[in-house]
Amino acid sequence: MSRLAILLTCLLLTRSLCADSPSFVRLTDDGHFKQRPAWSPDGETFVFARHQGATIFLYLRDLDGVERRLTEGKYSEYDAVFSPDGQRLLFSFNKASPNQGDIEVYSIASDGSDLQPVAVTREKLSHEEWPCWSPDGKRIAYTSTRDGNQELYTSLPDGSDEKRLTSDPAIDAHPAWSPDGTRIAFATNRWGDLEIATVDPAGKNLTRLTESAGLDDYPAWSPDGKRLAFTSNRDGNFEIYVAAGDGSQPRNATGHPAIDNFPTWSPEGRLTLVSNRDGGFDIFVAAASGE
Amino acid sequence: MLSLGKQTVSNCAKVTRRGLLQVGGLGVLGLGLGDLLRLEAQERGTSGQAKSIILLWLWGGPSHLDTFDLKPKAPTEYRGPYRPVSTSVPGIQVCELLPQLAQRADKYAILRSLHSSSNDHGIAGTIGLTGADFGATSLSGQVLPGELLPTHGSIASKVFGFEPTLPRFVTVGGFLHQGHKRITGETGGSLGSLHDPFRLDYDAEQGVKIPQFELIDGVTPSGLDDRASLRSALNQLSRSIDRSQAFGQLDQFYQQAYSLLTSRNAHEVFDLTQEPEALRTRYGRYRFGQCCLLARRLVETGVRFVQVNWSSHVEPVEDTGDGGWDMHDRHFQQFQDRHAWMLDQAASALLDDLAQRGLLDETIVVAVGEFGRTPKINAKAGRDHWEQCYSGIVAGGGLRGGQVIGESDHRAEYPVSRPLTPADLFATALHQIGIATTQLTAAGLTPRGQVIEELV
Repeated sequence: MSRLAILLTCLLLTRSLCADSPSFVRLTDDGHFKQRPAWSPDGETFVFARHQGATIFLYLRDLDGVERRLTEGKYSEYDAVFSPDGQRLLFSFNKASPNQGDIEVYSIASDGSDLQPVAVTREKLSHEEWPCWSPDGKRIAYTSTRDGNQELYTSLPDGSDEKRLTSDPAIDAHPAWSPDGTRIAFATNRWGDLEIATVDPAGKNLTRLTESAGLDDYPAWSPDGKRLAFTSNRDGNFEIYVAAGDGSQPRNATGHPAIDNFPTWSPEGRLTLVSNRDGGFDIFVAAASGE
Repeated sequence: MLSLGKQTVSNCAKVTRRGLLQVGGLGVLGLGLGDLLRLEAQERGTSGQAKSIILLWLWGGPSHLDTFDLKPKAPTEYRGPYRPVSTSVPGIQVCELLPQLAQRADKYAILRSLHSSSNDHGIAGTIGLTGADFGATSLSGQVLPGELLPTHGSIASKVFGFEPTLPRFVTVGGFLHQGHKRITGETGGSLGSLHDPFRLDYDAEQGVKIPQFELIDGVTPSGLDDRASLRSALNQLSRSIDRSQAFGQLDQFYQQAYSLLTSRNAHEVFDLTQEPEALRTRYGRYRFGQCCLLARRLVETGVRFVQVNWSSHVEPVEDTGDGGWDMHDRHFQQFQDRHAWMLDQAASALLDDLAQRGLLDETIVVAVGEFGRTPKINAKAGRDHWEQCYSGIVAGGGLRGGQVIGESDHRAEYPVSRPLTPADLFATALHQIGIATTQLTAAGLTPRGQVIEELV
């Protein structure tokens, strides 16, 4: 039994959970808006961005509730994600504000040392954002506006050998590399409003996974690659849906009138998300794996 | 001239320390809510159908294409990633990210042909808040010619007359900035600082804040809730003023603020903890949501014009601002994850709450920014400034909801019918609370804008 599982068991025994959402346990309790949580590979730590006052900073929090900032920077930072070996994190870093931003992807060791630029555009303002790792850690994917529109790119973890994967006047955003390494899921509005699609790492074989009357965004693969979680408002409210890896059989996994957003998975397959179901925005994890 | 807290006042009258304490005493022991309501009732005979205006000032400029004027048939580079959804009014659609406002479309009118004459926040802000660009300051610091006009709330303050114990005009939020420089147009202008707004704000951790009293250590609304702390605060204030060479210049504005803060009835207006927890949550546990709730409490008490500033800075947090609507980049992610639902939830709660209390018929709610955003998505997945055409909504106060006034072209770039200006919008709102040409002229003001006949 993992430490997270033990913790959740204890929490379930000691906490009275909301009657209408019995399957999720709150991991933070400050209520500030939060963005894109992501677990370390060992399931001992998660990283997230917290909006507090006029700041957006990244924090690492362990299962004992001990928390620290990832960097000592003074500008906005968000959308961090651990490398498969847990040694480093990629994150988005707004290094040139004010001036309408110049967002770049940086890499940092998990202890906060060795900050390195990864995906940057030096000759003009552009946005490199929402990084993710390939499952073997040998490449990364992210979005960039450097060519005049928001598209998907991959590169080596040091930013070299960059390849553009998409080329469409629509917005392509929020890539998520599948655990088997064969597909990259992302959100796109090329068919109207935002839907989930996949391409292979060479940018070929574009496949549409969702077709809903509503926004579908922030795809997140389960660790076994059999399920894909994403945010959807197809029922009129922001919920987390979980579908099969091919997008079939989507079901509402949250079913709560609050806002549920930014899905991710713990290493053992517990759905994790940001929700304001208790008033403020906090991070919640499913009490059972597979949920 | 006396600078006290963040409020600078002029045209001062002399007030003694004893007089000051008497003013405070009147607030505590004299006029109460019943007296205020009686005064309001006497006044109503000369007013319009509505009594109050709540302006939700969406500083930074919301995208009309992503809120109230979607163009799903426009090219991908224009239409954005969101779809329109049906509303409670057949034929009217709004953005899918505003589902609660969609259900209440019968309560408000959408103006889709608003336009301004500047794409500079500072100038357009002054136009939006005063009806003209006189005295406006641009981002570069250029001051446009002409005498700065009073903002709409100050006009209400002037016409309805100065009230010693209750401001006519309250701004909930800080001073407006672009590029971290203050703009003009949110004061009494030619009417004088007596008609400047009384300022409040809300902070998630501190509750309601009163910038005028930040000078006095430890004085908060909740800190004035018993006689001992009140007496202590009075003495502290009096001592601090006695030491000031400017004591003799304390003017009516400050007396009003002082009276307001030391009146138990008025003091309770600021105390949002008196509201049911469920209602506070319904408005939203974030600054703008709680400010909307405070606005309802203020109009309920008799304030005639409440301006709720979405933010003090046009810039988003990502751009060292405080969450404004000026999203040149990361537009859709910010709008989708934060701005849209915040506006949807808070504005919907405000409309519901006012309606349930029987106040919506006498309270006009306006939600608008200084301009819209470029229909064509820029190279940073954002939208830039666009003053040529934008949208706003107006509800309540007997104005006709459930309709769309004005139409934009197929890309929402320009009005194609019924072009409207901010001056038209506020001429209509002021008219509806009884401030028409006659009252404006009597106040020494030149009427600006035309009443939008479809609304009244």
